[in-house]
Amino acid sequence: MKLRPPTGRRLTNLAVSIWAGAAALLGILILFWILYVVLARGLGALNLAFFTQLPTPPGIMGGGLANAIVGTLALTAVATVIAVPVGLMAGIYLAEFSDDSKVGDYSRFSANVLMGMPSIIVGIFAYTLVVVPLGHFSGYAGALALAILMLPVITRTTEDMLRLVPNTLRESALALGAPRWKVTLAIVFRAAKSGLITGILLAVARVSGETAPLLFTALNSPYWFGSLNEPTPNLTVTIYNYAMSPYPDWQQKAWGASLLITFGVLILTVSARFLLREKKV
Amino acid sequence: MSSHNLTLPLIGRLTPFRRKSNLAPREVVRPQLQGKPATPIQVVEKLPVAASQDETGIESEALLARLGLTSKVATRQLNFFYGDNQALFDNNLDIAEHRVTAIIGPSGCGKSTHLRIYNRIYQLYRDQRATGEVLLDGVNIIEPHYDIMELRRKIGMIFQKPTPFPMSVFDNVAYGLKLHYSMKKGEMADRVEEALSRAALWDEVKDFLHRPGTALSGGQQQRLCIARALAVEPEVLLMDEPTSAIDPIATAKIEELINRLKASYSIVIVTHNMQQAARISDFTAFFFQGHIIEFGETQQIFTNPSQKKTEEYITGRFG
Repeated sequence: MKLRPPTGRRLTNLAVSIWAGAAALLGILILFWILYVVLARGLGALNLAFFTQLPTPPGIMGGGLANAIVGTLALTAVATVIAVPVGLMAGIYLAEFSDDSKVGDYSRFSANVLMGMPSIIVGIFAYTLVVVPLGHFSGYAGALALAILMLPVITRTTEDMLRLVPNTLRESALALGAPRWKVTLAIVFRAAKSGLITGILLAVARVSGETAPLLFTALNSPYWFGSLNEPTPNLTVTIYNYAMSPYPDWQQKAWGASLLITFGVLILTVSARFLLREKKV
Repeated sequence: MSSHNLTLPLIGRLTPFRRKSNLAPREVVRPQLQGKPATPIQVVEKLPVAASQDETGIESEALLARLGLTSKVATRQLNFFYGDNQALFDNNLDIAEHRVTAIIGPSGCGKSTHLRIYNRIYQLYRDQRATGEVLLDGVNIIEPHYDIMELRRKIGMIFQKPTPFPMSVFDNVAYGLKLHYSMKKGEMADRVEEALSRAALWDEVKDFLHRPGTALSGGQQQRLCIARALAVEPEVLLMDEPTSAIDPIATAKIEELINRLKASYSIVIVTHNMQQAARISDFTAFFFQGHIIEFGETQQIFTNPSQKKTEEYITGRFG
């Protein structure tokens, strides 16, 4: 029997390495391309007025998107306030109390399905649930849609992070006589803290760039953000409207808003990763 | 080690191990030498006692009675199930007060399973259940109405891997105290110090009380866990292979500690390490496939086991 010469194997190895490397490079390239374009086109739009003034009607130069920035922050904040407690509790249930029961399995499956749900459908859902009965578009409907999108992300990361906490830790707290809920809140939560915060940050990052769920719910508004009970100005729908407009000034502002959101999400994601890394050390 | 040398200090077994004994007869027909437990040098193969007949089928109970020791924890007809799989079969075992009892046996024989019933920690898992009796001072703690917090205060547990909580050294020890007692800050600090001293850790950590418990070395972490368990003033300590994840020097420290602790606590230790069982325990129970094959004084088990299976295990023929 003769050994096969290594040439063929080495060539295959080389080819696969190049292929995989090129594919990875392409992904990174596209990301940096987007960042570059957004930065190059959007940086010019960012000035003091952009952060402090209301938008101007077409044709009138100047003005800013201060109302939309505030509106987006408010929508995201309210959505977070709704989704975090529910998502954390659902995650606790799945990881700590479901004992792989049927209810637990179904909830986990639903969360997974919800995670892949097209966001526009969630928007229509919130529209039917809030906008139709109230008879007008509102920030509440928008926040609800965003909260529904955040919920499965928080639930699943919470469950995963809690499951990473070794059972021996739970057992040793229980063995001291601690009741189950205290073990979860004081010991398991503390052990999983950075993972839980990461999950919330990722969920916020996931929704803060969403446009579709806001189209039928929060809509948009050229006025100052006053109440969530009326159409609420926000950056993403503004980008959508302005980018479609024929006015160069508005298009410029859309680029500025894109830059703001892109880097906001980037910062959230990077800090989430950073937090997780901290924990491992 | 395997020679059947009858001149060794041994006390003959009263009865062969019996799995299906009746629940009823609890009191032991005490043999004449009950009053002098400290002189076990009886060159007698079998004691001429009625107990060897039917009345008391439980060898651990009879042995403790003969030595004049109190049975702190006693299991009777204890069975354990993982779902449909039975893991323990009619375990009858007595844990002597203020002594160290070692549980030995090959992997998967049910040692840890048996131990984990004493504080009902198995109840964390839905498909695990126990039947029979575990009597703590004569009261069956398997009964659902037995207060589980109080049970776990009385019976502390040390696990295989050290499990410091994600908080400071001080808070680790104070955690259990806060669960069971209400006390002022000053008293709390005193109790924490006392517990750490009893676990032979105080001198090493007194300047670092507010550092995270996870920053300690493995051996220190395990002693921290012991201190944490001691703080709530338990009566029984369960140790589930407490040194198997720890280096030899730290192991020696913990063994020394166990030796000191037995004056105040009744200790049950599950161990894979037979030398360790021989070094630190007074009594040894040998488990095999969920059955208690033999129980006796450690010296007797390791020098003159009466069951063939025990002898094979301690001479390293299996396991």
